[in-house]
Amino acid sequence: MKNRIKAILKTPMVIVFIVILLFYTPFAIYSPGENRNRGVVTALGIDKTEQQYEISLLTFIPTANQSYQEKSSVISGKGDSVAEAVYNAQIAMGRTIGLAHAKTTIVNEELLSEDVTSTIDYLSRIASLPENTVFVCTNKSAKEMLEQSHDLVNDLGLKLEQIIAYNANNLYVTDTSLEAFYKGYFSFVKSSIIGYLEIEDDTNMSEDNSEVSGAENTSEGQSEGTQGSANSTSANGGAKNKHIVNQGQAILLKEGKKVAVLDVEQLNGINLLNDKSVGQIIEIEDVKKEDQIFSMQYKVKTKKVLITTKFENGNPIYMAQLILGVELVEVDGEHDDLRINTEFSEITEDISTKLESKVKQQFTNSINILRENDTDVIGIGRTFFQNDRKSLKKFIENLGGVEEADKFIDYVTFKLNVIVQPE
Amino acid sequence: MKKISINQCGVLIVMCIFANKILLMPSLMYERTSADSIFVLALLFLLDFIILPIFIKLKTLYPDQKFYDVLKEKIGIFFTKLIYIAMLLFFLFKCLLVFSITYVYFKQQIYQDEFLFIALIAFLPVINHAVFVGIRSFSRTIELFFWIVIAGFIICLAISLFTPISSPLFFMSSVSDFFSSMHNHIFAFGDFMFFFVIMDRIDFKKGNIKNLYYYSLFAIALVITLFYLFYAKYQTTAFMHNNALADLLVFSVQFNAIGRLDIIAMLTIMLITLFQMEIFSYAFCDCFMGIFPLNKIYSVVVFDILFLLLYYVFIGRYETMVVSSLHWLPYLALLINYLLPFIILIIVLLKLKRNKSG
Repeated sequence: MKNRIKAILKTPMVIVFIVILLFYTPFAIYSPGENRNRGVVTALGIDKTEQQYEISLLTFIPTANQSYQEKSSVISGKGDSVAEAVYNAQIAMGRTIGLAHAKTTIVNEELLSEDVTSTIDYLSRIASLPENTVFVCTNKSAKEMLEQSHDLVNDLGLKLEQIIAYNANNLYVTDTSLEAFYKGYFSFVKSSIIGYLEIEDDTNMSEDNSEVSGAENTSEGQSEGTQGSANSTSANGGAKNKHIVNQGQAILLKEGKKVAVLDVEQLNGINLLNDKSVGQIIEIEDVKKEDQIFSMQYKVKTKKVLITTKFENGNPIYMAQLILGVELVEVDGEHDDLRINTEFSEITEDISTKLESKVKQQFTNSINILRENDTDVIGIGRTFFQNDRKSLKKFIENLGGVEEADKFIDYVTFKLNVIVQPE
Repeated sequence: MKKISINQCGVLIVMCIFANKILLMPSLMYERTSADSIFVLALLFLLDFIILPIFIKLKTLYPDQKFYDVLKEKIGIFFTKLIYIAMLLFFLFKCLLVFSITYVYFKQQIYQDEFLFIALIAFLPVINHAVFVGIRSFSRTIELFFWIVIAGFIICLAISLFTPISSPLFFMSSVSDFFSSMHNHIFAFGDFMFFFVIMDRIDFKKGNIKNLYYYSLFAIALVITLFYLFYAKYQTTAFMHNNALADLLVFSVQFNAIGRLDIIAMLTIMLITLFQMEIFSYAFCDCFMGIFPLNKIYSVVVFDILFLLLYYVFIGRYETMVVSSLHWLPYLALLINYLLPFIILIIVLLKLKRNKSG
């Protein structure tokens, strides 16, 4: 044994190991738990009111308990700058703020009236706000949104980032993280899309949606058309119940400023040439069948997109062929024994023309919004660049250089050919 | 003398090729040459790769001689010592740069404001020990962990494929930007120069020499793939991400729910950094012992003192170290990466001529 110890001690690496162990062990034993010094922030809200910033933090406090419920609370701080507001929030929390786990960042609409990067710059560059945080805007206060989301988790087990993730996967069909925002912001077209969620009072909800339940301390999901809301009671015990309303909207940003709020119809138009975007409902009216007039709703099941670009006499032309595989999902009209059967599923020339016209109209409307705001979230300029960079460069130079590259979309002629097939 | 095999030599060069290229460099390069940085990288690798056949020829001509002795015989002791001083500084600053970049990465990962003392306590004894036990022992250790490191590296690359990527836009930068970017980042290259330092400690068996090419090409391919995927994933925001290998793994909404996947990158980077520092400190100590007639203990103590002094007093801040590597260290690299191989090439050609005539 003695010889073995001697042999071990002769190995320098063992001595190094023992020294390191002796050095670290007291540190490990006597240092307090990280959670006593650091508050883990799972969502962050930024509000701007009257030249003051308010930072709200949905903070997860790890405590030992026998249930699986996480204890979290909303803590906020105000200041003349974002840094000061964060500092004050930190004082209010009594812990150092750890933003690395912040999965959602909410800003109020007021902040988007000016370049929002000046606000979030401090957080992402200095305070380690991760770029994969989902970036969302709300109509009222980000703090209220956090309070509602806190209740949403308690009542429904539904997290805010899950709602946004659904929108991102099914409606925006694009990433709406802070990273994606920056990508658009630093691109030539300086434009990006972020999610938009509204907060509404019970009174407003009743006006807008007749079937909304305002039961206290209960929650239920509901949907009507394209609208949906997750109800929960006010966190601060206020008189009014407030609700997070998800209508699938998104905000179109140009140079970090809000330029338009896009509804589901417009988002579908923008994503028309995105083959990953399926599941949309297309409604056509006045369809004549067996001497009766019907309104029919089709669901896009598959999508095939072929895109090509060219410069004709120096003018950019964007040509796309869209092959939609659709399925009839609902028929409304004056009829006795309506059911979706083979007869109705047949796509007649009249239906095909109506569907094509509807899709083209949707696309035109969306392109017009993008043109009005000199934004290109579809990547039209990029497609031209990949196909014919020389002609594009020449065209941009004639426009006035790279600074004017965002206006390129105004000069593009779109030729969309839609083919509708039954799925 | 205990020699290392060609395979061990191969794993050492893979670690050297990874040095200073897998964390900060893709983002630094993007600022000037955007996605064209991949071509800058490829060209710098090509220039580096030319050194390998020169080394192999030199080793074949002088199988058991020290590089120091070869130089002394051809250019005299004064110039040999000058070259060795330059090489000593080259490896010392490479080691410092590796440490600085990794230190900042870990600081961000574990949310600590400052833990330099702890980091030094963890790194310095291990790299000092590596110098003491010699190249054969630590290259065996690297060989043992080699495939774990490579697996970690490939996982980081592979996971990035699950997030939306699109081909980066090439040919956007001007010719002057291209060449100035090349000049600025030269210091991160010159990896094959380590072979010259350990020339007499490599066991060259003829059939295996091609393995050196395979290992080198494998590492170069991994680094180029890293650059491509990094630019394809981040595009215009590539300049904001200072830890390329780790950032490929994280920053995706899809993997938000899984938790801290970045532990894979952390372990990989930790091992790579440790091995690189061992290699560079060994090279430093070997150069030191070439310049001064002193033993290993002195060289290790001098390395530690210089390392700490430079880090605390002269460099201290990470930004200063990075800026130095872009501005004045490239001149040192020009000397080591290109002038020295050129001198060696002349020595090789002269020797070949003499052999033919003799």
